[in-house]
Amino acid sequence: MSRLSELTHDWQDHSYAFLDEASKRELRRKILKAIAIPGYQVPYASREVPMARGWGTGGLQVTLTLVAPHDTVKVIDQGADDSVNAANIRRFIARVAGAATTTDTLRCTLLQSRHRIPEERLLEGQILILQVPEPEPLRGVETSSAASAVLHADADYGLMWLSLYEQIVRHRRVILGASYPVMVGGRYIMAPSPIPRWDVPMLHQAAHLTILSAGREKRLYAVPPYTDVRPLEFDDVPFRIEDQGGEVCYRTGAGHKFLNELPQDDGSSRFELSDSGYGEKLLRRQAGETVEIGATYYDERGGFYHDDLLR
Amino acid sequence: MTTFSADFSTRASQPPIQLEPPRLEIAQPILEVRDLNKSYGSVRALEEVSLELYPREVLGVVGESGSGKSTLLRVLNLEEQPEGGEYHLGIPPYEGRNLLQLERFERRALRVKHIGIVYQNPHLGLRMNNTSSGNVAERLVIAGERRFHALRAAARGSLEVSEFPISRMDDPPRKLSGGMQQRVQLAKAIALKPALLLLDEPTTGLDVSVQALVLDTLRRLQRDLGIAMLVVSHDLGVIRTLSDRVVVMRHGRVVESGLTDQVLEDPQHPYTQQLVHAKL
Amino acid sequence: MAYVAARGGEAAILEAERLYKVMLGPLGMAQVRMLTDHLPYLLDRVMGEASLYAPELAALAVAQTGGDLYEAVLLLRAYRSTQPRLAYAAPIEQDAITTVRRVSAAFKDIPGGQVLGPTLDYSHRMLEMNVLRGQPTTTNSSVDVSSTVSSSPTVFPALAAWQRQAGLLPEITADTTTPDEIPDVTREPLLFPVSRSHKLQSLARGDTGGILALGYANMRGYGAVHPTINEVRLGYADVILTHPVTGVHFSAGQVRVSSAEIVTNFAGDPHDPRLELGFSATLGWNEVKVIAASMLDLSMGKAGHASQTPEFVLYHTEPVESSGFCIHFKLPHYVTFQSSLEAMRGVKQLERADDLLEMAEKVDA
Repeated sequence: MSRLSELTHDWQDHSYAFLDEASKRELRRKILKAIAIPGYQVPYASREVPMARGWGTGGLQVTLTLVAPHDTVKVIDQGADDSVNAANIRRFIARVAGAATTTDTLRCTLLQSRHRIPEERLLEGQILILQVPEPEPLRGVETSSAASAVLHADADYGLMWLSLYEQIVRHRRVILGASYPVMVGGRYIMAPSPIPRWDVPMLHQAAHLTILSAGREKRLYAVPPYTDVRPLEFDDVPFRIEDQGGEVCYRTGAGHKFLNELPQDDGSSRFELSDSGYGEKLLRRQAGETVEIGATYYDERGGFYHDDLLR
Repeated sequence: MTTFSADFSTRASQPPIQLEPPRLEIAQPILEVRDLNKSYGSVRALEEVSLELYPREVLGVVGESGSGKSTLLRVLNLEEQPEGGEYHLGIPPYEGRNLLQLERFERRALRVKHIGIVYQNPHLGLRMNNTSSGNVAERLVIAGERRFHALRAAARGSLEVSEFPISRMDDPPRKLSGGMQQRVQLAKAIALKPALLLLDEPTTGLDVSVQALVLDTLRRLQRDLGIAMLVVSHDLGVIRTLSDRVVVMRHGRVVESGLTDQVLEDPQHPYTQQLVHAKL
Repeated sequence: MAYVAARGGEAAILEAERLYKVMLGPLGMAQVRMLTDHLPYLLDRVMGEASLYAPELAALAVAQTGGDLYEAVLLLRAYRSTQPRLAYAAPIEQDAITTVRRVSAAFKDIPGGQVLGPTLDYSHRMLEMNVLRGQPTTTNSSVDVSSTVSSSPTVFPALAAWQRQAGLLPEITADTTTPDEIPDVTREPLLFPVSRSHKLQSLARGDTGGILALGYANMRGYGAVHPTINEVRLGYADVILTHPVTGVHFSAGQVRVSSAEIVTNFAGDPHDPRLELGFSATLGWNEVKVIAASMLDLSMGKAGHASQTPEFVLYHTEPVESSGFCIHFKLPHYVTFQSSLEAMRGVKQLERADDLLEMAEKVDA
């Protein structure tokens, strides 16, 4: 007679990639629904994961659901691979899923990010997973989520336009910083997560799939490849990306890329690339290594790679 | 012709009165409701209410509080669903459709484009913390205007014809006087040149002098824009100033209707007589 | 200089965690056992908020986090995510709870009687200084408590059941929803308008402090109701499962539970007023939480203050979400800050040519 232990798997503390299979199945279904209705916020149960809420648990649940041993994962926070929270998430994914990790945007199959999209263009087949603190673009004008659901259902977005109108009236221009509201597929207004305005055009007619997930607020939504994502703008008041003021990265000399400002003791500022993976590759090339660097969204003169969006 | 006699049905015992044919005789009504019923628990707010409104006409609805006149207005603004009846507006593409059966989405589209409303309580009609010009502009945005300059110009124009002081157009309504708040509501209501303007006790609660000025604006606007208007008030002075015809409501029913001057000079129903005498 | 810092973040966090563990000291079964044996109310609170009844795991979570309760609750919740849901237990009626304490403020005596049970309610709140002088208090085992336990019945009906019979509370029809069809807030998102099941489940796993704060706001004068405590109950409940093959109902074990009923008067028809009932229950013994939560159950949905709005109450008393979001502000926000800084500088340095408002007025004029 065989022993019971011979008939079962060895005890494991958790399933592959941490979440139990029922949770992953729910997420896969919700992700498919989100892809089918671009920009629509799909509610999901959102399990607790071994990271505090608000620290990328929404993005992490999507990554854990999609990841397989053959994947290569890149994780960035504020554009940087070495940011403490990015390092922590990357370490966790590698630990529970056994996937390879990279800092190279071109090599990753899954890219989990907080607050940035890399400067190198993402390609078909790559999946960008954005961590979202506040999935509801209407929260600023309507606090009740029950009421905003009705506004979305009716595409009743007058309040959003009113807030743009009033910014111009009060401040003489639109003063939105990151998390600039966008219209997806001409139907839903969506919060693109707190990426800078610099990154917003990268979502428009993109080759890659973007999944946005808010663990704390329990909503996920998606932008399928080649979908219209247009920032909210008046016809006569064009949307504007951040003005980099002609500054260049003090390490690499790169200009027309999103830069971090570093205050100096003498009251001045220096600037460095926010995208650390891209910066690393530029430095290695400058040191004489052969490095494959992808085409960037913005060229050396600041021109965007297609002219459908930015005026 | 049927409408003419219907209006005077309660006056059947009177000898026929010879008048200039009123303009309502020759036009199709722009608004027509039939047999509206609405109860709140055991209270009947509307009972078999029927009426019509003609292009460029002002119809007054009088009655005490609780007579059902405000409920009627909310039904006409598609805010409230009656238990039965029909509601038609002679506006393409809604002609021939019972508006009480519209989906929420269609109701909203219809309201934004074709119905303006001024509430007694400005909190119901305005976003008190947004700018006054924004309150007006929002309506145009919802209707699809996407040019900032056009919104600005339209808000200013609409506020101007409502005789609102333009220097304060970017103040929020909460910082404005009651009279100015009503003018912002009015500007918002007429911003898209609606087919129908509903006024719910538009001057109640204002100082007498302010009241006169607001009434003046309303009269001028109605004349200039030719909007069909329905004004609800318990104040016979307001009704006399504004309306061509009047219906008298009590306990949810229409008890008397006719030309304003006739009804107020020579009331037939005992309740109307009471109202008119109380006013005197 | 190369971007060698690409791995710097990883080294830093490993060191930071190591330092924390060094300062906390070694962790062993001794700490776990000390907690399970001596701090049951602490573990009850943690298990209730984690919605996971597992005293040993709760003790491990508390020990491993040095007593940081938000971290401990998160640990248990995260562990919970790895576990499949195998079955739904049958609902427990109050008269099936082995009750050790049940008090009512509504009547002097109630069917089944008042049972004071174990409580500090009437103790003098004075520190036992003698303990510090090396004189331990007498241990529980030396006192015979069997007489107090056996002299009273151990199961009691709910007071609400009597009030229903007396026509004071509206009749309710038995809910025929099977346990696995009851909406489960751990398996589906909380949506609004909220179902009563989700409401009660969210309160049951809500943050004790948060529930108390909002419940207190309701009691103190922001509320729409004047409550009387029908009963507060502490006891042991069987977890009744159905065998998947034989269909036999069996008890998988007992859990400590608390529940509270609160009533307010003059509800419903003004000419035929009734009492209205608020209820809550949670895993573990936590009287403050169930009293405040039943207060919130009663007042939620009554128009008025934000502390009566289900969305406001249930979102903001979620311990893992609220604490996590609070501490997430420690994370870098360079990009968002830079972006809004750029917008602000843009307004400051606005050239006349860029003044959209001025342009609009000019076109208009």
